Amino acid sequence: MENLKCENVKKIYGKKEVLKGINLELEKGKIYGLIGRNGAGKTTLLSILSAQNPASEGNVTLDGEKVWENQKVIDHICFSREISPMSGNGQNTLRIKDYLKAASIFYPNWNKELAEELVEKFKLEKKKKVCKLSKGMLSMLTIIIALASEAEYTFLDEPVAGLDVVARDMFYKLLLREYTKSGRTFVISTHIIEEAADIFEEVIIVNQGNILLKENTQELLDRAVHVSGKAEDVTASIEGLKCCRKELIGRSMGATVMLRPGEKIKENASVSVQKLNLEKLFVALCGEEV
Amino acid sequence: MNEVLTQEKSIYIQISEMIENDILRDVLLEEERVPSTNELARLYSINPATAAKGINLLVDNGILYKKRGIGMFVSKGAKEIIMKKRKNEFADKFLKTLLIEADSLGITKEELIAMIEKWSVEKNQ
Repeated sequence: MENLKCENVKKIYGKKEVLKGINLELEKGKIYGLIGRNGAGKTTLLSILSAQNPASEGNVTLDGEKVWENQKVIDHICFSREISPMSGNGQNTLRIKDYLKAASIFYPNWNKELAEELVEKFKLEKKKKVCKLSKGMLSMLTIIIALASEAEYTFLDEPVAGLDVVARDMFYKLLLREYTKSGRTFVISTHIIEEAADIFEEVIIVNQGNILLKENTQELLDRAVHVSGKAEDVTASIEGLKCCRKELIGRSMGATVMLRPGEKIKENASVSVQKLNLEKLFVALCGEEV
Repeated sequence: MNEVLTQEKSIYIQISEMIENDILRDVLLEEERVPSTNELARLYSINPATAAKGINLLVDNGILYKKRGIGMFVSKGAKEIIMKKRKNEFADKFLKTLLIEADSLGITKEELIAMIEKWSVEKNQ
C-alpha cells in the first residue's frame, strides 16, 4: 500500500468554498496531527479523503487508484466519525453492540478481540443505547471503532473531545500501542493541541480551507522562537527574519519568529529568546487581533 | 512581559539527557540494553520517531551502540564520554547565561570570581 494523495481538492457548499484546492500527501506509517480553527475545513477534508463526501474538484488517490466509490481502496481507510445521540427522527436508540456489529461487517480487518478489550478498558456497557451515552462515552465508542478497524489509514476527528484527562491519557497510550504494533497511518484532528503535540510525527495546519503548513513537529518547534524585550532591541535582533506575530505593551515587544535553515537570532543581554510550544505557535500563525 | 511562561527543550534532547543521567547514576550499566524507541514512546506518550531521534544522538556520540536485531546497548566507557561532552558544553550552557546576567547587573569579573570563591567555601562547610 502506498501513499494517500490529494490533488487540488476543492469543496464548495453553495457559494462557500470550504476547501480551496488542497494538495496533500500522507505517507504510510506516520501519525499526523490535523489542527485548525473551528470551520477551517478539517472534518470536510477527512470526509473527502475517506470517500464519505465527494470533492467538488480534484482527486484523492491511494496507490494511484481513485478513492471515490472504489470499494477495494475504501477497505483500507477508516474514518471513525463522531456519533450523534440523535438520529433522523428522534433519539438514536441503537446500542453500543449494534455499532460494533456494523463496524465488524464494514471493516474487513476488524479485530473483535481488540474491540472487546477496549470496551472493557473504557468500562462501557455494550447494551447501553447510544442516546444514553455521555459525550465522553460517545468519544470512546468512536475510538474503539477506529482502533479495532485495523484499517491502514485511520482518521479520527477530535477523538478526545469530552474525555476526562485520565481517559485522554489512556487513548494516547492505546494509540501508540496500536501504532508501534502495526505501523498504520493515523490522522488525528484535535483542539487540545499541546497534549497531543508529542504524539504527532508531523503536523498539518489547516487555515481557512488551505493547508498552511505540513511539517515534522519537532523540526517545526525547533525553528519557532519567541523574542522579547525593548521594542527597538527586538526589532534589531529579528531584522531580516520571518516574523509571524508581534505584540506590544508600552516599550516592550514580543515577536514570534520562524527561522529558516541556517538562520539564528543574535542573542544578547537585552532580549529574551524562548522556545514556543505548538499551541502558542498555532495561535501566532492563525490567531487574530482582538 | 511578553515572555512565554513554559520554556521547554526539544523532547528528543530531553530523552537523550535522561538516558545520559541514568548512565551517570548507574541506573543503566555499561553493556546493558536500553529501552527501545517503542518502549520509550509508550512510556512518555511521544512519537517513536522522536524517541529514535534522541537515541540516535547518543549513538552518534558513541554513548550507545546497536546490536543488530537485539537493540541498543550502553557502550563501554559511556560515562567518560558523557562527562567529557558535558564539560565541553559547560561554558556554553552555564557560563554564557551567567555572564549575560552578570553583565546586565553590572557585576565585574573580579566580583564574580569573589562570589564563586565565597560560595565554594560555604558549600564545603
